[in-house]
Amino acid sequence: MTTSRKEITGGLIAVALIALVIAWPFLTSQYLVGFGIFVLVWVAYTESWVVLSGMTGYFSFGHVVFAGLGGYLMAALWMVWPEEIAPYGVVIGGVRIWASMIVAAIASGLLALLVGYPCLRVRGPYFVILTFGVAEFVKFIVVNIEAGMSKSGRLMLGGPSTEALYFLMAALALVAFLLAFFVGRSRFGAGLRAIREDEDAAETMGIPVTRYKLTAFVLSAIIPGVVGALYVLRGGYFEPLQVFDPKISLTMICMAIMGGSDDARGPLFGVVFLAVLSELLWAKFPLIYQILIGIVLISFVLGAPDGIWGRIVQSSRKRAMNAAAKKPGSAS
Amino acid sequence: MDVLLSGQLLIAALVTGSIYALVAVGLNLIYGTMRMLNVAHGDLAMIGAYVAFWLFTLYGISPFIALFLAVVVTAALAAVLYLFIFKRVMRSVKLLDRAEANSLLVFFGISVILQNGSAYVFTTNPRGFQYLDQVLQIGSAAITANRLVTLILSLLLVFAVVAFFRFTMVGLALRALIQNRTASQIVGINIERIFLYSFMLGFALSGLAGALVSMYEQIWPFMGFPYTIAAFVIIILGGLGNLFGSLAAGMILGVLETFGIAITGPNFRSILIYGVLILVLLLRPQGLFGGKRVVAR
Repeated sequence: MTTSRKEITGGLIAVALIALVIAWPFLTSQYLVGFGIFVLVWVAYTESWVVLSGMTGYFSFGHVVFAGLGGYLMAALWMVWPEEIAPYGVVIGGVRIWASMIVAAIASGLLALLVGYPCLRVRGPYFVILTFGVAEFVKFIVVNIEAGMSKSGRLMLGGPSTEALYFLMAALALVAFLLAFFVGRSRFGAGLRAIREDEDAAETMGIPVTRYKLTAFVLSAIIPGVVGALYVLRGGYFEPLQVFDPKISLTMICMAIMGGSDDARGPLFGVVFLAVLSELLWAKFPLIYQILIGIVLISFVLGAPDGIWGRIVQSSRKRAMNAAAKKPGSAS
Repeated sequence: MDVLLSGQLLIAALVTGSIYALVAVGLNLIYGTMRMLNVAHGDLAMIGAYVAFWLFTLYGISPFIALFLAVVVTAALAAVLYLFIFKRVMRSVKLLDRAEANSLLVFFGISVILQNGSAYVFTTNPRGFQYLDQVLQIGSAAITANRLVTLILSLLLVFAVVAFFRFTMVGLALRALIQNRTASQIVGINIERIFLYSFMLGFALSGLAGALVSMYEQIWPFMGFPYTIAAFVIIILGGLGNLFGSLAAGMILGVLETFGIAITGPNFRSILIYGVLILVLLLRPQGLFGGKRVVAR
């Protein structure tokens, strides 16, 4: 099968992007590396969100719960791992990071399994409210647990450097992207889309609806869990209200909607768009920034519900149709 | 233990419940007719509260008169939003398909704009004012006059809304629309006009609640969110589209919250409310009074 021009272009862009991401810390200041981490974190979150909600149409409004759980585990286990487990100290700050990341991944997956099974039984707006409720519920439980232990936030000293975190996040963002990409192209993904378009019809066709939904839910939870675990190491400080902030879930959704939620490439646009916007406005005019986000969100939902990527796809299709219509042999 | 059995908590619960019911009925109305979840609902209460506050502080106007202006402001806002945004959503087939998820986001955008707009204009400093705060004694319970008036007015308003549905043509049309949109169109109801009315009424009820609450609660741009959450819990508890259910569920939540906090402590308020939400959605998604609508398998 010959590779089309589109695929070659896509491949080249991908290579260029990866090169840019790898080279970034060597080209720019510490501050911009931090910005890079910010962008990569959101790419990882949003791509994961898309795997569940973009594909199945079950909008999860509580996805922050996985990131928060990961962060909590990282903070709680920080001093727990015994130092004797061969500290591979040099680059990534020790085994305890890897161990906590693995625990975070497993815990997020388990939470998704536990929560997903009952939650996925309800549809549409009920699911949205329910996931939001679950996330807030967990948040306040953690708040109360910490308060009960008289801890108002936890400190983690001796974490990895910004550059090290950057490369870890880049790897996770890449994994998330690939996950969304391959799910989108797989039979599993086709099944998920079928569920989104008409769940009952999909079930009639023989698609194992419950199993697919649950799988998507679990898959979408793991990476946010790990990313959340690492993210608390950025500032070295864990605080439950920050880590479980529902605005994080909302931002994931905004980025996916604005960039395009049906395809792995969409969130990239959404993340960059919002990240640049926030970088320009948030520090100086936080209220205006929020108001602008509200306006932009409404405009996108009404004007471009398939997001930036959806628009790009649409216009390229239109061009292809026009080109085909102009060809002499076609019927018109 | 004595506190639990006293009338004090019960009165407090009734006041909270009546306000919740008022807000929830508005939300349920919008959902019932347009099938949209107004995530900005609590923020309308915030607007109503600010209207009352500024009228009282700047011009010395009593909140009871401010109520009317709060209604005008919120209903006008509803009309503007409907005409410029939601009319388009309701008409477009493509948007309507994803209407529920999309409308949530649109309302979120509106909520963000309202909250931060208010913060920008009014600053985030909490405001408040004194009005009718003499303490009255009812049996063994003490209550401030403004809370008592709020309780009475809220209940009266909810019953007025119910009467409106029963005895007026517009109310009947609204109920028809909630029951079956297509059938309503077939019998000749101008559904776009009814959408507009229900939207305005829903917003106005929330604004009213806010104006009443402003007499004894702190007013700040982000005060609406707890009301939004409570309203959501209530309409699900009472059954989506079931207005009487919202009234009952509002009172139930008011009682649960007040007594629950008395037993466990104020930190647990959120855990309680979200816990109720989760339980209802998982065990009985159609709510206590809802019909056998297919919301789950």
